Amino acid sequence: MTRNFSAWPIYALLGILSAPLAVMYLFLVIDTFTNAPPGSLIPNEFTFHHWRFLWDASVTGDVWGPTATTFLFATTMVVIVLAVSSTAGYAISRLNLPFRRFFLSGIMVMHAFPSVTLIIGVFLVLQFAGLYNTLIGVILVKASLMLPFGVWIMKGFYDQVPWEIEMAGVQDGASRFTVWRRLILPQVTPGLLSLGIFAFIDGWSEFMLPRILAPSANFQVLSTYLNVVSDPNSTTYNFNLFKSVGLFYTLPILVLFAVFQNRLMNIFGGGTKG
Amino acid sequence: MRTRTSLLGLGFVSPALALLFAFFLMPVVLTTVFAFTNMSTATGITGGSHVITGNLLRDLGNAGIDNDVITALGEASFSVTSETLAAAADAGVEPRFLGEIEARLMGQNFEDARSFESALKSLPSRPTRIRELKLATEPFERSILNTRYASRADMEAAITSMAPDAPAETISTIAEASYTGWRWIDGGNFQTLLDRPETIRIVLNTVFYVAATLAFNVFVGLFLAITTFYLPKTGAGFFSVLWLLPRITPVVLYAVMWKWFTWDNGFLYVIAEQLGLPAFNYMKGSVPTAWATIILVNGFVGASFGMILFSGALRAIPIQQLWASEVDGASRWQQIRQIILPQLRWPILFVTSYQTLSLLSSYEQIWLTTNGGPGSTTTVWALEAFNTALNNYTGNLEYGMGAAMALILVAVGLVLSILYLRMFRFDELVNKPRIEF
Repeated sequence: MTRNFSAWPIYALLGILSAPLAVMYLFLVIDTFTNAPPGSLIPNEFTFHHWRFLWDASVTGDVWGPTATTFLFATTMVVIVLAVSSTAGYAISRLNLPFRRFFLSGIMVMHAFPSVTLIIGVFLVLQFAGLYNTLIGVILVKASLMLPFGVWIMKGFYDQVPWEIEMAGVQDGASRFTVWRRLILPQVTPGLLSLGIFAFIDGWSEFMLPRILAPSANFQVLSTYLNVVSDPNSTTYNFNLFKSVGLFYTLPILVLFAVFQNRLMNIFGGGTKG
Repeated sequence: MRTRTSLLGLGFVSPALALLFAFFLMPVVLTTVFAFTNMSTATGITGGSHVITGNLLRDLGNAGIDNDVITALGEASFSVTSETLAAAADAGVEPRFLGEIEARLMGQNFEDARSFESALKSLPSRPTRIRELKLATEPFERSILNTRYASRADMEAAITSMAPDAPAETISTIAEASYTGWRWIDGGNFQTLLDRPETIRIVLNTVFYVAATLAFNVFVGLFLAITTFYLPKTGAGFFSVLWLLPRITPVVLYAVMWKWFTWDNGFLYVIAEQLGLPAFNYMKGSVPTAWATIILVNGFVGASFGMILFSGALRAIPIQQLWASEVDGASRWQQIRQIILPQLRWPILFVTSYQTLSLLSSYEQIWLTTNGGPGSTTTVWALEAFNTALNNYTGNLEYGMGAAMALILVAVGLVLSILYLRMFRFDELVNKPRIEF
């Protein structure tokens, strides 16, 4: 772009508009390491006191159990999403199926459809299936709700793989399955990686499903843990502590986002959050 | 030539089909079905049994059921059968005494406690103390009141045994009324919604919430996309990352940050106090500030959606058009008005319609921040449906009513998403943001 316009008015406007966000994220980090005198926002001492929940379970309860559960939850869900999306995506991209068009448009409608309105129906399904209040139930629901998006993305990746690769494989006598497994799948690994990271972040952040579908279960994920810990109506509320727990919870996501930012930027446009 | 169906293909799509069937199609079906029932915590989910309670008898009496029948049902009777004997043995009645009861009274019925007791008193090995005798009668008591019957036929049989003279029609009415599970109530839930005065309030809240947040999302998204387009790369990068952060921040932490921002002794509170402005809990303290909070909470997440899509569309505009306009002496405002905005018409329409749908159905952020308060001033339709069905701490969760409210959203969602599919040739649009590498 040409430089015959001055940039500072734009910076000023953007700065004002973004100020709340900047303040919130700045203090998210600052407040976890500092204390400020009452009635002031400027910190006057440096401390690790707010991070003691990591080794002292008496502060907010054990944090490592929920961390492990969250990891299990997110990775299992990623595995399901990747396995099901990579096969279904290949099938609707390359193989002959009855009702293929119908399936495709169904996936698209489900992708646009706000799945959160189904929560009452999902609750009833889990009740009937006996999976209410179980981790596996929540994982299955979360993975299924991600599927329309995952299948769609994977189909797009398969569409870009040249037919010639497949032709060559079939010509040499390999079965369609071997072709998919040995020739096509390696071509779409970048897509699997991006989808996997996206799904992992989504699963790591998930709050509604564990909270609603497993409210009295014997496991906790970090989102429900943080929600219980950070109740500002409690008598001893301390936002510095809440933010430390929250930052600890969010760190893996921030790291993944920083490393894979360019890949994720493009997927967000077709993403699921409004 | 017609090609053969690929077996591998069928195998490959079946896991996806199974999961989508179980967790997309079934929920839609169940929401639709149970919207027409009165299912709640009280009725249970998997069906109920048949019980006559004292309250039910009173209601039936008021409803004009024959009083003799009601009295007969309310009475207790005593009968000696193998079942009641077994129950008595379990209750610890002395075995010898039981043996005598079995030998002499087997198969007999007694209208009331007194006649049964006097029959027992005639037995040789009766307990000497009256209290023990009374305790021994209890297992033989057969009352229809508060007894659970698994099926309707059992209940009808029990009613017939208690009140043999009752006409069949009355028996069936009572058996019907004694059912504790959920039942079909046709459009009852929707009628209740129409009759409730709060409904109109919630609809207005929803319209206001969607309109205001949508306006924020689209205008801020546009503003961000256009300004970052004009800025040098580092500045633009900083702001787009900053605005993307709410999108990747887990919603619980995002809510905590907003609470800190607006709560007592939080950021705004302290600033307002130092400036001498009214300082209170802005999130929950007053209606206008509560509205401002939830619109901003959702707006700051939603704006980045517009920003990403608009930025992509902006980069697709041939740069020569902008150069030419600058040569002709166009101001930046003229550039935006005459060149950029007309070419963003379709992305703007897309963002507007897509976000209308997601805002209509989303309540996560509202739930975690104002939770519809103060009072129910910021309660929207989706939140109310969720609270009715799944999040009511006062006790009875009304699944049927919640499903009816959700069904309206599901219907709106389906119609709108199919409409968008047509309008935007969705396949192209959904294809575009494919991951690039």
